[in-house]
Amino acid sequence: MRLRFFLRRLVMLIATLLVSSLVIFSALYIAPGNPIATLSGGRSLPPESVKILEARYHLNEPFLAQYGLWLRNALHGDFGISITLRENVSTLIVSRVGTTAALVLYASVLILVIGIGLGLLSGLKHGPADTSVLVLTAVSAAIPAFVAAIVLMLLFAVKLGWFPTLGNGQGVLGTIRYLTLPAFALAISSLAIVARVTRAAVREEFRREHVQTAISRGIPYRQMVFRHVLRNAAIPITTISGITVASLIAVAAVVERAFGLNGLGAYLVAAAASKDFAVVQGISLVLVTAFVFVNVLVDVLYAALDPRVSLGARAQ
Amino acid sequence: MNQRRAAWSVAVVAFSIAMVASACGRSVDNNGNGTPSAGGSGTEATSLTTTTPAGTKPVDKITWAVYRETNSLDPIYAFDYPENTVISLLCESLLRQAPDGSIGDGLASLDDSDPTKLVFTLKPGVTFWDGSPVTADDVVYSLERNTDAKLGGFYGAVFSRVASIQATGNDEVTVNLKEPDEWLVGELSSMPGIVLEKAYVEKQGSDYGTPSGGAMCTGPYKLQSWKPGDVLATVRNDSYWDSSVHPLVGEIDFKGTPDEATFTSGMQAGDIDGSYTFALSTLDQLQSSSNVTVTLGAGWNTDAFIVSSFKGPLGDVRVRQALSMALDRQGIIDTVYKGAALLPHSLSSPGTWGYGKDVFAKAYDELPPLTQNLDEAKKLIQQAGAEGQTITLGMSSELNNIAVEAGAYRSAAEAIGLKANLKSVSAANYINFFIDAKARAGVDGFFTTNYGDYADPAALIATLVLPDGSQNYSGYNNPQVVSLMNAARGEADPDKRAQDVADAQKLMMQDMPWIPNAFPENELVTSSDLSGAVGSFAYMFAPWADDLGGTG
Repeated sequence: MRLRFFLRRLVMLIATLLVSSLVIFSALYIAPGNPIATLSGGRSLPPESVKILEARYHLNEPFLAQYGLWLRNALHGDFGISITLRENVSTLIVSRVGTTAALVLYASVLILVIGIGLGLLSGLKHGPADTSVLVLTAVSAAIPAFVAAIVLMLLFAVKLGWFPTLGNGQGVLGTIRYLTLPAFALAISSLAIVARVTRAAVREEFRREHVQTAISRGIPYRQMVFRHVLRNAAIPITTISGITVASLIAVAAVVERAFGLNGLGAYLVAAAASKDFAVVQGISLVLVTAFVFVNVLVDVLYAALDPRVSLGARAQ
Repeated sequence: MNQRRAAWSVAVVAFSIAMVASACGRSVDNNGNGTPSAGGSGTEATSLTTTTPAGTKPVDKITWAVYRETNSLDPIYAFDYPENTVISLLCESLLRQAPDGSIGDGLASLDDSDPTKLVFTLKPGVTFWDGSPVTADDVVYSLERNTDAKLGGFYGAVFSRVASIQATGNDEVTVNLKEPDEWLVGELSSMPGIVLEKAYVEKQGSDYGTPSGGAMCTGPYKLQSWKPGDVLATVRNDSYWDSSVHPLVGEIDFKGTPDEATFTSGMQAGDIDGSYTFALSTLDQLQSSSNVTVTLGAGWNTDAFIVSSFKGPLGDVRVRQALSMALDRQGIIDTVYKGAALLPHSLSSPGTWGYGKDVFAKAYDELPPLTQNLDEAKKLIQQAGAEGQTITLGMSSELNNIAVEAGAYRSAAEAIGLKANLKSVSAANYINFFIDAKARAGVDGFFTTNYGDYADPAALIATLVLPDGSQNYSGYNNPQVVSLMNAARGEADPDKRAQDVADAQKLMMQDMPWIPNAFPENELVTSSDLSGAVGSFAYMFAPWADDLGGTG
């Protein structure tokens, strides 16, 4: 059963990658602009040079031939070369993937720990604690990542000088120091949403009949919370956390740019602007794969949390 | 012919994605003379700074910002600010542009006593970073790479008058010309004249100048490492061939910083130590920061409106003159440049007077400054019978500065009885106005910031007045201007050459094939404990950190 589940997910992943690569390639192909123009920076190149450059990057071939060529090479592990940097796409991606992974991981930890923590606090306690969390999350949910980036940078980097304004650090501690502000900028609004959903889920469970019955029977509070409330509330919390974390991969672009990090997201934006086909394709594949993996992880968690859900069961 | 680039370019593309409104707290009516070394922003052309006081203390390592990541270290593909900034630090040309734009010896000295021959003699003891001597073979190879169609380099056309390039001795190279060509001399003090090590380039093949292929040049700094997207690190070349030069900064790391807000915070927090910019939206903020020094120096670029079609109302020279007269240039200078730009008299900036300075200065002063005169402009429109006609301006609302200028042009047009349509395209597609006739089809003109590869007004003008000029989109052709420009190209005497160019310029100011908006000043932004960087636009073409060091 499990094997079948993973096999099916693998097939779905491959299908998703194929479809998305075709869609992205077509979109980029149709989009106005010309990669050779990016190369020449607006200068009028001699026609002979243009021909050579177009042939070098196969830009003179029809759409399907270009896509077919890219796909064939990709299946052999060759993701092409970047037009702007004249460098292997795999090399360029590998040098950046760590930054994005670390940033997303750091932000996810913040979201899960602080978001769920605040949500539980607010859901379980009434009074000032609940109100403060509500106010706090209402404000932070409304702060987009790029605004958070500027505010955090001005306050903690320029005014207080606690953290660097931009760049990547060296080593584990250095990386954490350099990524702290970006991770908070990335996490701040998602964190609030996770906290809100967690609070709602906990409250919802409290109102359920079996919980009310348990309370009336005098089952100890702690036991009731862990066994009946949290266990059931875990399903919606996992769902929202999964979606939030998966979406971080895309939002990271904004934060990477603001903090001058050499991540995949910022690079994807730059590459799309200069119509650097191979780079856009390569990064998209990485991002789609990561997205699918996060979703698989969430599904596995469902099964672990709720015995009624079995891996590979078809949706009802 | 020789082609100029469009400086709006990728920076602005990135900028539009940034979504970041840079916080500009202060009013823009001050003229930005906040720092002692500021060159001032009056209209006095001659007061422009070209150097800053030499540094006195050694500095281990600094971080230098460029507006985006460097794409290539191969000079034949260097066409924009980030590539030029890095390559000019690492590599050297046969001739060298001084901060004031004058051209002198570089790796070689030039004998041009025969007008159809440029004979270069390499300086004794000139070596590459790896210690191997620079030979005549390296020079010939490097120059010929420019015209090798297989490489698709960007400077092939500047060699159009070259018949052959030959090694005529161990340390001597002769460039034989079909006709005398003073412009080639200028180009050989810029990217096309850079000398690379033949053996190294041949070994790297198409990887030369990429992160994996590296570079091999002669300059005072050498490439240490290049992590794409992160840092391009350079380190002082301690075996630099010119023993009179002792740079004080040990390492210079280049970092692409597309976001102006990030750059500004980085400067204020001390994470970035310097950068060359222009039209920086946060200039006021940086000028008022105590730990940042802003030096306004001679710029060689021109902010202009390109009249790309003479088929519409702008085909009438009176309408072009009227539009120019109606324009509020001071408004553009205050808003876009925060005061760090000159009010033009002509199309090429005083910064570009690399020779014949007195001749250029006299001619420039004789031309009136382009101040606003609505009454006169309205009269011209009446004479032309152009009232109520519509002009279409190509612009991009995503590019802040261009949007401001398009707004200024629309106000000018409406103030004199014309109508103006704005045709807005995405930031990424703005480039198409320059390269795609189809994109230009619907517009009467669009905006640019343009510059030449060396300090000569002709370097920019030639691209738009010569019938085959790369930026002559309208088909402008004034035989008198063309013949003056061709005379200048072959004229060896600097003052006579300057006179030809100045005369052509005077005629052009009547014809207005392009309408100049402002002369941006070069903005050198450094940490206040650094000094000594070249202050003019010459940083784009020659080593700029020889005197850079700590102060105090």
